[in-house]
Amino acid sequence: MVTDEKKQELLERLKNAVIQYDEDASKEASNEVVEIGMDANEAIFNGLVSGMEEVGRLFEAQEYFVPELLMSADALYAGLDILKPHVQQMDLGVKGSVVIGTVEGDVHDIGKNIVKMMFDVAGFTVYDLGRDVPLDKFIEEQLRTDSDLVCLSAMMTTTMVGMKKIIDEIKSKNPNVKIMIGGAPVSADIAEKWGADGYAKDANNALKDAINMVSSLKKMKEEADARKRA
Amino acid sequence: MSETGTMTRRERVLKLFSGEKVDRPPCFSGMGNVTTAGLGQFGYKFAALHSDAKMMADAAAQTYRLTGFECGVVPFDLCVEAQALGCEINVYAHVDDILYPTIKQKIAHNEEEMGAITVPADFVKRGRIPLVKEALRLLKADIGGEVAVGSYVLGPFTLAGQIMELNDLLKLSFKKPDKVGKLLDTLADAIILCAQEFVEAGADYITVREMGATSDVLSPRVFKSLILPYLKKIFGAIKSHSVLHVCGKTNDIAGFMVESGATAISVDQKNDVAETRKKIGNALLFGNYDPYNVLVSGTTEVVRQAVRKCVEDGVDAVWPGCDIWPTVPVENIKAMLDEVTNYRR
Ligand code: B12
Repeated sequence: MVTDEKKQELLERLKNAVIQYDEDASKEASNEVVEIGMDANEAIFNGLVSGMEEVGRLFEAQEYFVPELLMSADALYAGLDILKPHVQQMDLGVKGSVVIGTVEGDVHDIGKNIVKMMFDVAGFTVYDLGRDVPLDKFIEEQLRTDSDLVCLSAMMTTTMVGMKKIIDEIKSKNPNVKIMIGGAPVSADIAEKWGADGYAKDANNALKDAINMVSSLKKMKEEADARKRA
Repeated sequence: MSETGTMTRRERVLKLFSGEKVDRPPCFSGMGNVTTAGLGQFGYKFAALHSDAKMMADAAAQTYRLTGFECGVVPFDLCVEAQALGCEINVYAHVDDILYPTIKQKIAHNEEEMGAITVPADFVKRGRIPLVKEALRLLKADIGGEVAVGSYVLGPFTLAGQIMELNDLLKLSFKKPDKVGKLLDTLADAIILCAQEFVEAGADYITVREMGATSDVLSPRVFKSLILPYLKKIFGAIKSHSVLHVCGKTNDIAGFMVESGATAISVDQKNDVAETRKKIGNALLFGNYDPYNVLVSGTTEVVRQAVRKCVEDGVDAVWPGCDIWPTVPVENIKAMLDEVTNYRR
């Protein structure tokens, strides 16, 4: 039996490993979780992810900058790799999949990578197309993976306009896909005008919106299935 | 083009850099300011400019001719040094819209390759460095009697981000600052060589663009410990007037920027210039209107207001936060110049 005390200690160590971007400590604590047979889901969400949430706060408060964020993510992934095979069922209420990338002509991918990390952390299946992604590639990848969500990032006013074409194309082929857009020049107004389903000003909000969208998508599907059965 | 003050446009800029009194702040830039309006007059495509010295120089001069904007600047992209170091670039020749060139193939993919980077012996003969020099000569011959001619190079950290994966660079800046420092030192040598060539070809001032080290990405502490030493090395070696530009958040590093030894510093719309002015005393400060949301998509009245704000906050030159977007309306640049010329603090 795992004592509560031991559990607390390990959760604390996992959390701190992420906050202090210490990959080795993260691996060590994760291995111990597995050895003593502690619940892996709990270790992920109350340990690693809770550490990442704190990192997000430190980033907003400008105590942490992008390098710290990236290193914390590495520490999180290191633990996740060990814990994942032991997860009973990764159930977060929603299980979503997302195609993400920075649009053609744009190599600004720091923000996109942070958004991607949040999706990873939350257990989404992420198909990352990288940066400077030709418009057609988004459409192909969505069709190939049948993802729930497509996320487009652009950091320049000139490359941002490419998003409209992608949104139109995807919507015409597959009206149920939810599309979320973001990046510094993008706004909620633009998202609405171009027919995107969502916009978020930062990675935390992106994840919240995504979870909502995927939930509503699942609900729609269930309702449709129920109607079919009826 | 007729003059709009007691000095010529060229004199005003050069005097400002030399620390002499000027009749009003000049309105110019050290970064790209090509316009589609100008390109239209020649029938040039944006994608073609980057690899043709004559087209590059024509396009740069045309902004001044069309609007009175008080400088001429080449090149227009950020890939020149990286290409000369061996990176492959993409100019999007197939695209009619305006897409800026990007690096297609980086030259370092891990720590080991990063450590192996050296400056090739024939560096200044490689890539488009000779082409930019030729463009500078043509530009100088064309409008150099009337306005100051500028060019730019990247800062060492931003250049490092062009030749290797930025995520890796950012993490290594923390984990292995010594190794990253060594790379920045090597890149500083390349940047100095490049700047020297541009000065020799006629550039009156060189802007060093270190946008990768903005406080949106990197902490002021790391800016000071890891980047500032190499900026000092670069500015110590540039023979012409010089400007250090960093975009994004810069209030906490403005003091370090001045310490770099650049003749002037340049910041964008995210900087609170009134506060920076207090912090840096009389050091030359250029900025800081939003080159897109004000100059391209604003009305002429929005532009005039932004100009007044820059001057009131205490800039020494009215200057954009980044490259001016090519689709800028000509009447907006004209309104900006008119406001700078006629507004008195
Ligand atoms: C770093 C940087 C670069 C680096 C990029 C390196 C990289 N791999 O990313 C380099 C040096 C290569 C670069 C190049 C250029 N750049 Co630049 N760059 C920047 C800079 C300084 C920081 C951007 C950044 O990473 N911010 C930090 C991250 C964390 O924030 P973020 O990206 O906004 O992301 C957050 C949100 O937007 C949101 N989000 C992001 N994506 C998504 C997606 C979705 C779906 C959602 C929901 C949310 C979301 O969540 C993120 C996390 O909270 C900005 C200025 C600035 N301070 O913003 C200029 C800036 C973006 N660049 C600019 C320019 C002009 C250029 C160049 C054209 C210059 C040139 N002459 O070539 C080139 C373009 C190259 C190209 N074709 O892409 C301009 C763009 C102007 C405009 N409005 O169009 C800016 C705004 C500078 C300025 N002051 O004008 N640049």
